[in-house]
Amino acid sequence: MGNTFNWRKIPWAKVLSVAFLVLFPLLVDSDYYRHLFIIALMWVVIGSSWNLLSGYTGQVSFGHAIFFGVGAYTAGLFTTKLSMSAWWGMLLGGPVSLLVGIVIGWICFRLRGPYFALATIAIGEIFRQVAENWISFTEGMQGILIIQTFRSKIPYYYLALGLAIACVGTIALVLRSKWGFYFIAIREDQDAAEALGISSYRYKSLSLMISSFFTGLAGAFYMNYMAFIDPQVVFSLHYISIMAILVGIIGGVGTIWGPAVGAFIMVLLQETFRSSFYGLVPRWVSEAHVLVFGLLVIFVIRYMANGMVGDWPKIQQLWSRPKAVSSPSVSGN
Amino acid sequence: MKKFFRFSLVLIMALALFAPTASFAQETIRVGIILPISGGQASFGEIEKNSFDIAMEEINGSGGINGKKIEFLYEDDTGRPDVARSAAEKLINKDKVAMLGGGYGSSETMAIAGVAQQNRMPFLINTGSDDKITEKGWDFVFRLNPYASEYFKGLESFLTEVVKPQTCAILYENTNFGTSQSKAFATACERLGIKVVMTEGYEKGGVDFKPLLINVKKANPDLIYMISYLMDASLLMRQSMELQLNPKMFIGGGAGFTLPEFPDNAGKASEKVMSVTLWYQSLPYPGALDYFTKYKERFKKNTEYHGAEAYSAAYVIADVLKRAKSLSPDDIKEALLATDMKTCFGPVKFVKVGDKINQNVLPTYVMQWIDGKGELVWPKEGAGKPYVYPVNWQKEWK
Repeated sequence: MGNTFNWRKIPWAKVLSVAFLVLFPLLVDSDYYRHLFIIALMWVVIGSSWNLLSGYTGQVSFGHAIFFGVGAYTAGLFTTKLSMSAWWGMLLGGPVSLLVGIVIGWICFRLRGPYFALATIAIGEIFRQVAENWISFTEGMQGILIIQTFRSKIPYYYLALGLAIACVGTIALVLRSKWGFYFIAIREDQDAAEALGISSYRYKSLSLMISSFFTGLAGAFYMNYMAFIDPQVVFSLHYISIMAILVGIIGGVGTIWGPAVGAFIMVLLQETFRSSFYGLVPRWVSEAHVLVFGLLVIFVIRYMANGMVGDWPKIQQLWSRPKAVSSPSVSGN
Repeated sequence: MKKFFRFSLVLIMALALFAPTASFAQETIRVGIILPISGGQASFGEIEKNSFDIAMEEINGSGGINGKKIEFLYEDDTGRPDVARSAAEKLINKDKVAMLGGGYGSSETMAIAGVAQQNRMPFLINTGSDDKITEKGWDFVFRLNPYASEYFKGLESFLTEVVKPQTCAILYENTNFGTSQSKAFATACERLGIKVVMTEGYEKGGVDFKPLLINVKKANPDLIYMISYLMDASLLMRQSMELQLNPKMFIGGGAGFTLPEFPDNAGKASEKVMSVTLWYQSLPYPGALDYFTKYKERFKKNTEYHGAEAYSAAYVIADVLKRAKSLSPDDIKEALLATDMKTCFGPVKFVKVGDKINQNVLPTYVMQWIDGKGELVWPKEGAGKPYVYPVNWQKEWK
């Protein structure tokens, strides 16, 4: 974006998308669709946070459920143990998660590549086990139940939207700063980055801190909104950690808008399948949803390695002219 | 221009998705039923859905609800509380159902109950049994089935009169249902003078229980009480057989131990195993045996208490909708409160018990797998067959 104002340079698709999202709850008078969009916006936050660490800094995390769960439990325990509003817990969800992120970074950034990914899986499982078995503190599998503050979806919707915009905006700003270039340098070649005087440990930790902070906020928001959590929901490897990766891959790893698009695709697709295409197809089809997600991921990795957003030019060419020249790859890995 | 055209195409498609669904004929009353139709608890969801289906056809066949047809809209909670919540939101806000039913797993039921209460939408639970669900003071939430800490009430007299165990080991799956029932059972043991030598939770969907069972063998309890869903129940018994455990009795806390699939999966390891149960077809309730035979004829499979809960819940819902002054949530709630009917699952009346409100109270029973068939064995008055005790496990497992 240049400094001189040029209306042609305004990214209309993005502006219109954001405007649509802002007006959405006023346009659509159905709490059900508002609910779906709230969940999708929450995933925008988680997916974008994952993407900063894994897509831009190259540290693939299989354990984002850790931060999500810690954020959710921070908010939940604040309410049940201290009888304070879960909204105070929500403010603390991010910072507490960030602290956990610092500790995990301190341990895990001594490892590289697959070892880091494996360590995050292990730590995620440790957190889940602790939450399940430390019953006096976390209530174990009975979970934490609170009563929502608002009956209306609209406050939650705008909170989620605000969170999503803050998250994507922060990440966009960070990526334009010196930090962003350091992150990418570390992703491309850690040794070369080190040779140039970039402390890979420090910048990987910074990336993780931002990532864990926003994921923790999303978790605390989830507690406030869903009003019920248990360890198998919020510390779930499958439904949180892997889903975060899928959101990133489908939308586009290493693109700012990718996870945002991926989140909407994944959430809406999941619900479409769960409800058997709103009753249009027989029930057994919906039971195949895991298979379909698998195929979708294979398809995306094979034909659109940069995701929906990263390979958007490719998709556009397919749409308009069948005889397309292959588009240049947006980012390597 | 082309770009704009494409963009508007996408927009139109998006808006089409949100268009209100075609309104159904005025003659149907829609009731939302949330069950685990896929996922780890699908066998329970299936038996309940089948039972709801039978009841729906019968109700509609005999005049429906004051001339209108009743329609059950099923939603799959996949055994996850967050999905259950989405399903409840969809039924209330999109499908505009008159009331909600179903609720299998305790965590999912809790999540649905929260949404129901907040939206002031009547919800009749037929299985979710965590004690706390009806202790929240939620006046729109009603429960047909006994709560978790009542499941083994019928067992207590059997223990004190017949087995007279000194020691007991409790194994439970680490879920809401498992923890709340195991806690209550441990308290009951204390009261009955049985020493609990071991209480151990395990991760549901386990693949190897041997480390756990070896510890049980070391503790050598008189009684092994297990709270498990289907696959875990089968595996626990199969591996108990492999390790040649030798307690006076194996007793299951309902759930997986009563399903017809249990002897299929566990084979001879299921033989003579007991379980608490909430229902049996030979009980002197109107239509109990009738329901059992109908189910068996149609689905070529046996049914058990979960199915009976669902079948009766369908009839309670129909009865409530017939009596309600209008289909407004408040009138339906009033009608639920005034419920007093006899179902094949037992008499139904929603009362206050201790901290619980809108709770139905029913006796519970003990069943035993004898020659591959589930038989009601306790209390003696209702028993279809005499109980087999003591059991020589080594002989049974040959």
